[in-house]
Amino acid sequence: MPTVTTDAIALSNVLAELALRQLPCGGWAALASSSQPAIEPTCYAALALGSAPVGDIERAQDFLLRTQNPNGSWPVVPGDDQEGGWVTSLAVIALRDLVPAIPARLQGLHWLLNCSGKESNWFWKWKFRTADRHVRFDPDKYGWPWFPDTVSWVVPTSFAILALNQLPCSCGGLERIPVRVDCGIRMLFDRACPGGGWNAGNGVVYGCPMAPHVDDTAIALLALSDRGQDPVVQSAVQYLERVATTLRAPWSLAWSILALAAHRRPIAPLHGSLLELSDLSRTEDTGTLALACLALDYSRALSAFGVTV
Amino acid sequence: MSVTRRDFLIGSAALAAGTAVTAPFLLPKYHSDQRPKRSRVAILHAQQYSQELDQLLAVGLRLFPINVTGKTVVLKPNLVDYIPGNAINTHPLLVLAAAESFRRLGAKSVLVAEGPGHQRDTQLVLLQSGYEQYLRDEKIRFVDLNRDQLVRTPLRASYTGMKDFWLPRTVLEADFLVSMPKIKAHHWSGVTLSMKNMFGVVPGARYGWPKNILHWKGIQESILDLCATVPVRFVIADGIVAMEGNGPLNGTPRPLGKIVLADDPVAADATCARLMGFHPDRVGHIREGSRFLGNASPMLIEQIGETVNPPTRPFQVVPEFQHLYAL
Repeated sequence: MPTVTTDAIALSNVLAELALRQLPCGGWAALASSSQPAIEPTCYAALALGSAPVGDIERAQDFLLRTQNPNGSWPVVPGDDQEGGWVTSLAVIALRDLVPAIPARLQGLHWLLNCSGKESNWFWKWKFRTADRHVRFDPDKYGWPWFPDTVSWVVPTSFAILALNQLPCSCGGLERIPVRVDCGIRMLFDRACPGGGWNAGNGVVYGCPMAPHVDDTAIALLALSDRGQDPVVQSAVQYLERVATTLRAPWSLAWSILALAAHRRPIAPLHGSLLELSDLSRTEDTGTLALACLALDYSRALSAFGVTV
Repeated sequence: MSVTRRDFLIGSAALAAGTAVTAPFLLPKYHSDQRPKRSRVAILHAQQYSQELDQLLAVGLRLFPINVTGKTVVLKPNLVDYIPGNAINTHPLLVLAAAESFRRLGAKSVLVAEGPGHQRDTQLVLLQSGYEQYLRDEKIRFVDLNRDQLVRTPLRASYTGMKDFWLPRTVLEADFLVSMPKIKAHHWSGVTLSMKNMFGVVPGARYGWPKNILHWKGIQESILDLCATVPVRFVIADGIVAMEGNGPLNGTPRPLGKIVLADDPVAADATCARLMGFHPDRVGHIREGSRFLGNASPMLIEQIGETVNPPTRPFQVVPEFQHLYAL
């Protein structure tokens, strides 16, 4: 059984490795072998570093502020098309403690409010109701796409809900937030797998029930942390508890720890599994490395995601 | 009959309008004709996955005038997701056999690269499908194409109407890209073979999981744009145990006992389609690909190894693709 001490040592080791991978521009690349900064790993790393005495959180935040698109969204990598994408939610969350970032976050939230899955349009709604029925879902219940002009998926919807829920009040043109969040939540419930948990986007395709994915399920559960009484959520938690004990992949393990902690489930054995991964610091994927830090320091991580336990 | 100035102007305007409307449909949507004069395809017989596959593959590769000496070879398997009992992914033993064969042929380096289309946790898929251990034991590097460095790349065809794609550096810098598909029926595209397998090079970090934009831009169209832009040098298709029915994830395993090798992805896919009991001309991307990417006609394919014998029972497909069946 890991102790607080072993957790702290492991955390400081992984944080040190994460700090080493910070690029001169302030961001992080997705892979250790790459020098191209990307928004997703930078957001996880910024959340993981937080107030840690390693790395340069200010440079990370400055990088995020510099890379915001004029329309309020964030690109996947600097230099990408300026229409923006799903990482906008992560950037809004990663900048939550920075007072000078409030205008940028508000712009990001406005962009999120105006972005929705393509099925929200009347024409596609009609098409999915009449001509294109191989995927079972209710197009009235829509969330957020990975990128504009595509349909809603579980992960971008969950991150958008987490980001929008961080705003303390719905004012200044953001009055629609509760309605949009509610629609996103209904979409998640609608698209759960029949056996519990979530796949990438739909529960039934061509009449065949889809198998749930660990990380999709965990991220959806984070977004639904205040819906623990709902049978769909309970079923997903049970699935995650069942499968998490068998995991040896740090990305899925870390998300599972965060989600189960958010739903007040015991996570000590999973912490143990994460610590037993001997080559954790050598993980090529920097996003995974940052998530491992967040899982090892889950109380602070949940707070950063706006989840109260 | 005299033509007034007014008639002439109206006629000219009508002609110009007609040209403007029809020209886009008449002009080719590809930038260059990449077809070889002739293509070569070998069908190898293999009943099961075993350590002996590398000997079989070594013999098969000698049937082709391949020169990979000093080159970086990238093996691109079909590694989508893992569901116990479902024949979803290219078997790791075949990928290992290919890596060993290309090393023996003098490749400078051989690496395996893939961007799983459904699973964001690539390492989980590698672990569950058995790849992780095999690659570690054989010291073969794996690159997650979903998160590799991105390079904005102009497309060399315009079927989707997109001008460029962000593509992974590892694939763009490969000297010799080998598509290693699992032979499967597919509920959206009819089949998924060496050309459709190239969806895996499209980075999820940029386009999402699954790569939904490719569906919205047209699956057949996206396959053509991708294959025109990222040339596949060789194909090793896993048909030892294939998949029929509701592929690519939830179909039924279908033992076929074949490995298909080819120096042309269109020829490879046309041959695989015939082995599945389908008419290749009825698969949109094979038919269109045969205009500029490779050869689908048996007259232009040198068939070595086993002959193409359609199965006694064609592969099952979802109702929308019943038209694929050969007459």
